[in-house]
Amino acid sequence: MKLTKRNLLAGLTVATAGMLMAHAPLSAFAQDKPVAGGTLNMLMQPEPPTLMLGLNQQGPTQFAASKIYQSLLTYSKDLKPIPSLAKSWSISPDGLTYTFVLHKGVKWHDGKPFSAADVVFSADKFLREVHPRMRALMTQRVESVVADGEDKVVFKLKQPFSPFIYAFEVSTMPIVPKHIYEGTDYRNNPANNTPIGTGPFMLKEWKRGSHIHLVKNPAYFKPGLPYLDEIYLRVVPDAASRAVAYERGIVDVLRGGDVENFEVRRLQKLTDTSVTMAGWEMFSPVMFLQMNLRRQPFDNKVVRQAVMHAMDRNFILKNIFFNVGKPATGPIASTTLYYDKNVPSYEFDMAKAKKMLADAGVKPGNYTIKLMPLPYGAVWDRLSEYTKQQLEQLGFKVTIDAADAGGYSKKVSDWDFDITMNFLYQYADPAIGVSRTYISSNIIKGTPFANNHGYSNAQVDRLFDAAPVALNPDVRQKMYSELQRLIVDDVAVGNLLELQFATLYRNKVHNLVTTGIGLNETLDTVWIAK
Amino acid sequence: MKSIGFVPNRLAKAVFVVLGVIVLNFLLIHLAPGDPASVMAGEAGAGDEQFLAQLRQQFGLDQPLYTQVWLYLKGVVQLDLGFSYRNNVPVAELILDRLPATLLLTGSAFVFSLLLGVALGVMAAARRGRIADSAIMTGALLFYATPLFWVSLMAILVFSIQLNWVPPFGMESVGAGLTGFARIVDIAHHLVLPVVTLGLFFTAVYTRITRASMLEVSSLEFVKTAKAKGVPPGQITRRHVLRNALLPVFTFAGIQAGQLLGGAVLTETVFAWPGIGRLMFDALLQRDYPVLLGVFLVTAVMVVLVNLATDMLYRFVDPRIEVNA
Amino acid sequence: MKSFSRRYMRNKGAVVGIAIVVLVMLVALLAGALFPSNPWNAVAEPLLDPFTDPAYPLGTDMLGRDIAAGLAYGARVSLLVGVVSTLVATLIGISIGALAGYYGGRVDDLLMRLTEFFQTIPTLAMAVVLVAIFQPSITSIVGAIALVSWPPVARLVRGEFLSLRSREFVQAAVVIGLRPSRIIFTQILPNTMSPIIVTASLMIATAILTESALSFLGLGDRNMMSWGFMIGAARTMLRESWWMSFMPGVAILLTVLAVNLIGEGLNDALNPHLRSRGGL
Repeated sequence: MKLTKRNLLAGLTVATAGMLMAHAPLSAFAQDKPVAGGTLNMLMQPEPPTLMLGLNQQGPTQFAASKIYQSLLTYSKDLKPIPSLAKSWSISPDGLTYTFVLHKGVKWHDGKPFSAADVVFSADKFLREVHPRMRALMTQRVESVVADGEDKVVFKLKQPFSPFIYAFEVSTMPIVPKHIYEGTDYRNNPANNTPIGTGPFMLKEWKRGSHIHLVKNPAYFKPGLPYLDEIYLRVVPDAASRAVAYERGIVDVLRGGDVENFEVRRLQKLTDTSVTMAGWEMFSPVMFLQMNLRRQPFDNKVVRQAVMHAMDRNFILKNIFFNVGKPATGPIASTTLYYDKNVPSYEFDMAKAKKMLADAGVKPGNYTIKLMPLPYGAVWDRLSEYTKQQLEQLGFKVTIDAADAGGYSKKVSDWDFDITMNFLYQYADPAIGVSRTYISSNIIKGTPFANNHGYSNAQVDRLFDAAPVALNPDVRQKMYSELQRLIVDDVAVGNLLELQFATLYRNKVHNLVTTGIGLNETLDTVWIAK
Repeated sequence: MKSIGFVPNRLAKAVFVVLGVIVLNFLLIHLAPGDPASVMAGEAGAGDEQFLAQLRQQFGLDQPLYTQVWLYLKGVVQLDLGFSYRNNVPVAELILDRLPATLLLTGSAFVFSLLLGVALGVMAAARRGRIADSAIMTGALLFYATPLFWVSLMAILVFSIQLNWVPPFGMESVGAGLTGFARIVDIAHHLVLPVVTLGLFFTAVYTRITRASMLEVSSLEFVKTAKAKGVPPGQITRRHVLRNALLPVFTFAGIQAGQLLGGAVLTETVFAWPGIGRLMFDALLQRDYPVLLGVFLVTAVMVVLVNLATDMLYRFVDPRIEVNA
Repeated sequence: MKSFSRRYMRNKGAVVGIAIVVLVMLVALLAGALFPSNPWNAVAEPLLDPFTDPAYPLGTDMLGRDIAAGLAYGARVSLLVGVVSTLVATLIGISIGALAGYYGGRVDDLLMRLTEFFQTIPTLAMAVVLVAIFQPSITSIVGAIALVSWPPVARLVRGEFLSLRSREFVQAAVVIGLRPSRIIFTQILPNTMSPIIVTASLMIATAILTESALSFLGLGDRNMMSWGFMIGAARTMLRESWWMSFMPGVAILLTVLAVNLIGEGLNDALNPHLRSRGGL
């Protein structure tokens, strides 16, 4: 708004830096060696309900507890598996046997040794009991999981399932200590408040409403790591205050979602700040309009297609998401495996949309649509207001039927909605995170993240069944390409945007985002320059 | 003679009120659509039937309502407020953890607004009809009409972001590891904006009541007598007028105690103050029934106690007044 | 009536109050004419500064919506909610207070317990709970505000009824054999109207503040553009576009101020004997 000396200076600095970077990339990137010590201050928004990652996989829990717990693997930005607790692995040629060799000398935070028995217990008993995604996986796909000695774990599958290698991410399969949980009532185990993991950081203090204080695990199995001494995760309920927190140096990192996207635009201009969109490749959520196919007028495919033509993805991206994101062409994000960019999508054309309705004999004025916004913040409010406006331009009558998180969850679970919006993590392989929205077998009541809109297409079901078990990756790609075309043509849901999340951080913080799960990593290689 | 039976009488009635609050809120809260299990499933981005059923069983939600009420009341009598669904800690612990922050905030706002309000009211009454009077009363009118959340935002914008005089949010600087006096100063620093903005409305109220009361008492017979007798004006004000004029102020202040707690929700939200107001709001959205009920219970008890104290104080100060028990 | 208006007009503040309220009402009524398109519609570039484009004098918000239109339509919501919820609260309060004050004894006890009970719960907190439970809509907001605001009216009416009950004209009516409902409605109630009107007018101000607080917290009706909603929506943009939060706040401030001034003017005009002592 105002041209102040500060803005001017900042602008000049950015311009100069830009020129320098263009001319001397190597010298600019000549990093000093990692420095041990230091405190990393970050935000957690909202406060996680618990740090026991096995019992709770809400976003904030994933973020906070992934410093304490680990899984066998993690994943690079282009979604290749990387060792974590497992130092190597092999998959049998018939795709049925997965063998993991674990690191030796790993200890739990209470000093007891970690072994393959913990992995078996976690997968076979603990997570099967309490973790919905793991339960589905173990029941449907896994024949057996056994320990082979102290440091080998062998998973045997019922049929080949190529996405299986992606199940070893810390929020999907956190490894929990057998000696603490075996034979106990998992949910009421007192250790839940003092989480015991294998990770590089341990819980020192949790002052609810204020902060979580993590400290370095001196017995961490990777020598010399972690570099950081401690991490503070602060609670600040107000978005504007969070931006201020960063500016005043109270925190050094802003995760995606900590501040509104337009603040990102402003903050990234600060001289000591860098921004990256990386670190979300594993999750790559695609945001969609969810139309209840059981209700008029959305039971009519032409109406759904017209709605898609009435939504201007670029406007949404520019004015609601402030250019953080990418228009989606279909159900699979461009950073998820098997994405096919050659799927025709719906261009914004209000006139065409109206004509489609008229040609199909649909009189929009006859319908009053109840639009239920996703109750997770201002962005979704704005999106629902925009959607309402577009639907009204088509001629429909629209009222916004707002609900809070509890009400929303219930309504979607009970299929009691006309149109709403949602986004889901994709977890690298479409068989894990994408299929659940489109397969008939997931048309179940009682949970908000199933196929609540009631889409059912036999061909789609067949393809989703066959693709993950096909051994040949080209065959898989063909099937997923076909799936993308079918889903887009049917408008099973209205896929609008690939959500991206900007991570802002001070330049002195290094190695912050190094993998496809970004800040959900253990952060064991993060260091702060003095 | 009546005052002997007064306290136990009032206490018994207070207990009934509190119980009533609990039962009413219990029923109300369960009327809200959705339950904590579905909220948690929603936020986890996943959840199947079994998961939800497990959670519901764990929370005791699968039992009939009257059983749940009864179990809760039984717990309350034993000072067990249950377990927070969401935070996995006993509700009592959660509330005790956050209560001091709210008490600090509302207590400071109360004292601040009372002192400032009375001072301004006395000044306005003393300079009645002159510019100072108009200025003070206009200011009071403005403060009375200002929306709390808005003035809080504006205050943060001006005094914290632009002028950098005070911190913009929070109760203390975390990670600074301050102890003792330094910590007190740090908290006091953080307390300035929330207390002033929360107290503005009540300052206005007390200013106006004090002024009106001062003027009313000043025109009473005994004051005229004192003036006629030649008692110095300062002494009249202090010894005779003020003491009598402050009675209605205190009564009002007692009644306002409850409102103060309500206002704390807004202030705690805008300033990220870790108190029970914000806890209640979050618990409501999360359908964390035990926490919600616990907060209402504690609030009700506090309001009732403050009312009781005010009534007793009133009776004590002026035994002629019969408070309708 | 003439002396009433004369007394009222003597209070300059009250006159200003009327002027402002009339202005607000006019804006509310003419909103449709002044801003023919829906205030929820994007009409221009987002985040236009105020006073830069004559077509959009107060600028636009993050979705390109006209802020001036929002203020105008918001006036409708604030006035509507303020008046209707106060009306409902007053009706409830009168009913309870009249019954308690007229019958006395056990009825009084019971009803006063109920009133005390409602007064124990902090009003904003309870309103928040009620709206969240019944899901935000204009009905639930009006209902919630009414449900938390009636106790002071009930107390007031009860007090008046208790004192008037023992007056001669009421005793006479009882002796004649008039039904209690007739006595209440035709004899006592008309004599309590002045304090009720004053209280009610002050309650309208509080109701407007409560509604804006609820909208700010995200519990407003999403189909009605209100001032509180505008402040809430603009909250995250406080730094960049502070005027988006500032203007609706000023609108609330002026309206509430005006209503308060009117209330006081009414108080002075209806209770002239208090005026000489410099009333509130």
